[in-house]
Amino acid sequence: MKINNLKLSSKMHLLVIISCIVIAIGLAVGTVCQFISNGFFNYSADYETYKTVTVEYEDIDFSGAGREPSKLIEDICEKAFKAENLSKINLTTGDTNTGGKLIYKFSNSTDYGKLNSAVSAINDEIKEEVSQAGGIQFSYASAHEEVAVIGGDLVLVRAAIVAATIIVVHFIYFVIRYKLTMALGALLADMHNLALYLALVALCRVPVGSAIATYAVIAVIMSAIGTSYFFDKMRGNIKDEENKKLTAFELADKSANESLKFNVIMPACLAAVSVVVFVLMAISSLSPLAVISPVICSIMSFISCAYGTAIFVPSVYPRFKVIGDNTKEKSKAKRLAK
Amino acid sequence: MGKVKSAIITALLVAAIVVLWLFAAISCNVPGTDGVKRYNSFLSGIHLGSDLTGEAYTLLYPNGVISAKDYKLVMNDDENEDKEEYQYYEEHGGVYVDKDKFNDEELLSSVKKDAEIISKRLSQKGYSSYSVTVEDDYVIRVSVPTNFTYAAYKEYDNTSRSSSLNLISTTIQLVMVDGQISLRDNTDYDSSNSLLSIKEDFATYFKDISYYVMGGTHAVKLDLTNEGFNKLNNVLLLGDSDSKAYIYVGETNIGLQFDMGSSLENKTLYFSSEANRAQDFAILLGSVINGNVLTNRYNDTDSGASTQLIVSTPAFGEYAAIYLLAVLIVALIAAIVVPVIKYKKLGFVNALMALAYSLVIVISLLLLEIQLTVGGAFIAVLGLVLLTFTNVKVFEAVRAETKNGRTIQASVKTGYKKTLFSVLDVHILLAVISIIVALVCVGELAACGFILLIATLASYVLYWFTRFMWYVLSTPVRDKFKFCGFAREVYDDED
Repeated sequence: MKINNLKLSSKMHLLVIISCIVIAIGLAVGTVCQFISNGFFNYSADYETYKTVTVEYEDIDFSGAGREPSKLIEDICEKAFKAENLSKINLTTGDTNTGGKLIYKFSNSTDYGKLNSAVSAINDEIKEEVSQAGGIQFSYASAHEEVAVIGGDLVLVRAAIVAATIIVVHFIYFVIRYKLTMALGALLADMHNLALYLALVALCRVPVGSAIATYAVIAVIMSAIGTSYFFDKMRGNIKDEENKKLTAFELADKSANESLKFNVIMPACLAAVSVVVFVLMAISSLSPLAVISPVICSIMSFISCAYGTAIFVPSVYPRFKVIGDNTKEKSKAKRLAK
Repeated sequence: MGKVKSAIITALLVAAIVVLWLFAAISCNVPGTDGVKRYNSFLSGIHLGSDLTGEAYTLLYPNGVISAKDYKLVMNDDENEDKEEYQYYEEHGGVYVDKDKFNDEELLSSVKKDAEIISKRLSQKGYSSYSVTVEDDYVIRVSVPTNFTYAAYKEYDNTSRSSSLNLISTTIQLVMVDGQISLRDNTDYDSSNSLLSIKEDFATYFKDISYYVMGGTHAVKLDLTNEGFNKLNNVLLLGDSDSKAYIYVGETNIGLQFDMGSSLENKTLYFSSEANRAQDFAILLGSVINGNVLTNRYNDTDSGASTQLIVSTPAFGEYAAIYLLAVLIVALIAAIVVPVIKYKKLGFVNALMALAYSLVIVISLLLLEIQLTVGGAFIAVLGLVLLTFTNVKVFEAVRAETKNGRTIQASVKTGYKKTLFSVLDVHILLAVISIIVALVCVGELAACGFILLIATLASYVLYWFTRFMWYVLSTPVRDKFKFCGFAREVYDDED
């Protein structure tokens, strides 16, 4: 009979300590930043202040330049930003009724003075270009400061409600379909994975937007799938006559071994997809800063789930089972004594 | 099952999947129309989120505030009649502000408050993402997803593009309406009179105003209070039977009207309208009766300003949607190839299911008009992973049974029986979770919940369909162990 080589159940104390330390550090960093910085998480432009440089142009006469006005202006802007050592989050372009608009987004920490210097340089360069080629006349750059208004709060609140509801439903379903100790294990997995994900995101201080809510919910959903798989193995192994002599710890190790592949490969597959998507998006947007938030959130979410469901919970669950079995034995003994 | 039957079923299924995939993936000009008409594939007809097709935004300027560009254009034009007025404007960030309003604390705080009210109004629209920001302290910037399909985004389908933009434009025009709710006697504000005395507040007549949908009918639902019901009846009975009373917000007639000369029968009134308009009216009226009234008028047409909707490229770049599609195709190929390598011909059964799953997702997104974002795409991949792992779990259970010396048929039966409850548990749990997410969440997460529900149902149905196709495909094969890539256990007493 093959027993788990990893012996996860014997590593419970170590794994609990690791999880507690990471979660505690994440909470501490988040709490400190809540008071001295921009919040528990490093909220990005979705929620907080950011800066932009916009260049609006009229698309009426660019025969002199012989180039797309937006491309010409883009070159001028990039040159000016490079001279001031400014790095943008992203660039978006849009058509207006009479021409177009380029919007360069910068983080709130960007020096406003440097932005204004770049804007002056852009306007000077445009004047120069107009006097020489006459191609991009009526173009004008300006720097702006944008303060976000509660835009994403509703998403975060609803996501928090839904994550809590999923955890409760998951617990109730496990109480009905499995055992109370397994339901407690599932509850632990959900709470642990969510807390670990949030702590890691708070800890790494990458600017996060509404993606944090999406991946928090995905983390809970993946925990539900993973625990279903692990506890199904556990249930099957408990019923199996061949395993009657095994202790709760050996059973948990055996089940963890059997479900390890699934619980690691599933998040790993999604993490791989996530990395590929965001590498391509970074190439597409020509700005890694634009995609760093969702990629970090997704990777943190998948790491938390893989670790929590495949390693942490199988190490802790046997204790739940032992306590549950002992309680059952005691109550049975009491009943018999009566 | 005979060989012929098996071949026919397999051929029909494969043909259906291939044909549907062709329709799903290939867009082309319709032959014989000289390129006038274009067939847009299922994929290019899916509505995409702002991360893939960009957002539409507008800037709302209160009176006395103009953009730096407008200022420069006027000041550089000697013949412009506004030049004299603009010379008293002062620069503030990227805008110019009338000297009288420059650093006016009241204006600054009212703009901020108005932005919050607009944000609250937009939050009820269920957009996958939206943002309201205050630009340079004086200007409100409102951004919402374009909800373009890929065809509309690339301007292959201009009807759909303009339809999406019209909906956004109508919504933005309504959420920026300022002023209180009133009841007036004419469609034109300037020549109309209020039908209520100056002391009366029409907003207090209503208990609630909400958006109502039932059986394809969209309406604005007005719940009157007892007092409001009586007072409104008194007002309506005073008028001539051929005249009407119109509901206004500020100076805007929003198009809801009562017949004068007759009394209302119910305290709950329904005004049916097109879906988007009914929702917008309900949001605006609901906001106003709850005291969320905009203080300032923005982009005032009386002073020559206009509200311009600008469609910007996605933050992830112009080709974000194409890159995402490429990744999804790679994920699909991986879900097909890996089981084929491991289970030989049985892997092809899984491949058919993976292709069918992706078709179900594409067609569902298309028909139900669910907006796909990067998060939604992840959920779709999660569903694919779930389906593949479920099949692999069954295949392994069957393999384990064959090792006990059972035949393939007996092993399949036992394997499915043994995995049934665990597969059912995961799918039931996911279905319940997805319904909760779809109903409780808003925006992108709600769409993700909806996609997860479809993915879960598809995965479960295809789990059973895998068994059927396994049976169909393996029937003509003599060595069923070889078909599955399983090693046959040889016993001494076996021939």
